[in-house]
Amino acid sequence: MGRQVAIVSAGFCEHSSKRSDVNMPELVNEAIRDCLKKVPSLGISDIDAFVTGNMPAFEGANMPELWSTDWMGARNKPLLRVTTGGTTGGTVAIAGYYNVTAGLPGIDTVLAIAYEQQSQGDTSVGLASTAYGEISILNTLGIDYDSLSRILSAGAAIGVAAYQATNYMSKARITEEDLARVVVHNRRMAAKNWWAHLRMPDLTIEEVLDTPYVQYPLRYGMLCPASDGACAMLFTTEEKAKDMCDIPVYVNGVASVANESAVLGYDGSGSAQTDPSAQIGAMRSSELAYSQAGISFPRKEIDYAEVYSPFPNQELMWLEKLGLFEETTAPQMYENGTTALDGDLPVNCSGGVNSTNAIGASAMERPAVAALQIMGKADNQVPKTVHTSIGHGWGGSLNLCTLMVMSDEPKRKWR
Amino acid sequence: MAEEEKVIVNNKGLVRAEFNFWVGRYMDKFYDGLEQKKIVGNKCPKCGDVFCPPRSVCGKCNENLSLDQNWVDLPDSGTLQNFTITHFKVTDRRTRKVKDPQLIAMVQIDGSNTAIVNRLLNMPPDEIKIGMRVKVDWSEKTTGAPSDINGFVKV
Repeated sequence: MGRQVAIVSAGFCEHSSKRSDVNMPELVNEAIRDCLKKVPSLGISDIDAFVTGNMPAFEGANMPELWSTDWMGARNKPLLRVTTGGTTGGTVAIAGYYNVTAGLPGIDTVLAIAYEQQSQGDTSVGLASTAYGEISILNTLGIDYDSLSRILSAGAAIGVAAYQATNYMSKARITEEDLARVVVHNRRMAAKNWWAHLRMPDLTIEEVLDTPYVQYPLRYGMLCPASDGACAMLFTTEEKAKDMCDIPVYVNGVASVANESAVLGYDGSGSAQTDPSAQIGAMRSSELAYSQAGISFPRKEIDYAEVYSPFPNQELMWLEKLGLFEETTAPQMYENGTTALDGDLPVNCSGGVNSTNAIGASAMERPAVAALQIMGKADNQVPKTVHTSIGHGWGGSLNLCTLMVMSDEPKRKWR
Repeated sequence: MAEEEKVIVNNKGLVRAEFNFWVGRYMDKFYDGLEQKKIVGNKCPKCGDVFCPPRSVCGKCNENLSLDQNWVDLPDSGTLQNFTITHFKVTDRRTRKVKDPQLIAMVQIDGSNTAIVNRLLNMPPDEIKIGMRVKVDWSEKTTGAPSDINGFVKV
């Protein structure tokens, strides 16, 4: 069995639509400094190894980790880049965990860094590099680019989310108002995080519904922004963590699971899945991670959740698929205040991906915020004590889910 | 083995990609300097290395260099550190072969610890020697861009 791993800090840089005041390595450096600032006993030279990642080709810079080495403090040290599309940040965090739990000689403290400077590139062109996995499957089925653009809306992710949304809305019998309520929840939460992008403390459901459709049932006001930003997380061993901070956050379960692309019924592994909102990969990732963490009743044992939802319907869907709410009941939880800051199960108090989306960083910002909530150091801290939290990521070629389960207690040793 | 192949899909992928690359505030100062025909660098307060072009972090010391301090005005002269000669133009695929060989060199600007890459101008290839003294040949009209430096010439 691997070593117990703890998170001792997490940091961010300011996110906005255009951070033209910094180049890519400088953007990365800002998040690292914010992360290390919170651990006064530790300097950048005390880091043993580095893991980093961003979306491939979004900025038009290949191998940016080699360019950014000095700005990460990684000169002459072990450095690894992993990149899995939208889940990159989640995978980088998991790789940080793997690096520590592996117990390699001399590698105890690992810095994980995920980032994206979307204003540098053309996101749709960048997506082509990731989406090609998807396109090549369609090619093997004899579907060419021209036919593809008739099936999927231009703009990639929303083309998938729209199908998930119509399925989910029909199952849960909800209206666009329920979707708008989720958006309002997120944007108002974002207003309390200094680093978030769309900070709208006074947004109303009416204002969201007053924007035009981009693709039914998703309106312009419901979509995530494209952000420039970075996030860093610091992982270390149980022993060292106790010297570095008051409340170390123990990583007790991780999972990274792909299921069929779930874009359309014919596309994928042949599991005959026709409902894009079924998300079997998310269910499986939660089973795996919860069983590692010894969680049997997620709804009772998890105090805080950060889920990856660029689009509001996904937030409802993920919360159910990750076992936090019964199927089709999530919309009620937003209505009755269960997911509010002072609710029973606060969700996305950072404002979530719906408010801030520097894609490569987004899936890391979820476990990062979920960890800070346990430490009591989150920018929008929930009033109740958080013992156990989860950070979820979605992406890959639209089919991968990452999950990290964190707690203020180390993993139970009874297994 | 299939006896006959039938083409079902023929993708002609033609993607137009437009990228911006933000240089950041440190390089802004460098380009502002070029516009006035000046070369600026910045200095690590810890090890004393002078970077030209300037940068926000000294990787050797892991030191963040403040944007407000540590600036150093450098001369437009330097020492040739290494060079190469090519008869091909990499940026133009049609007329790859060029009449006059292109001379490309790394020059360490006096007072800095780094070297910048640029062309050598008006120099017969057999006169180039590592360690020789060179200086910037400024463009007549400077705009605060890399093109402000035409190249380096012999002192």
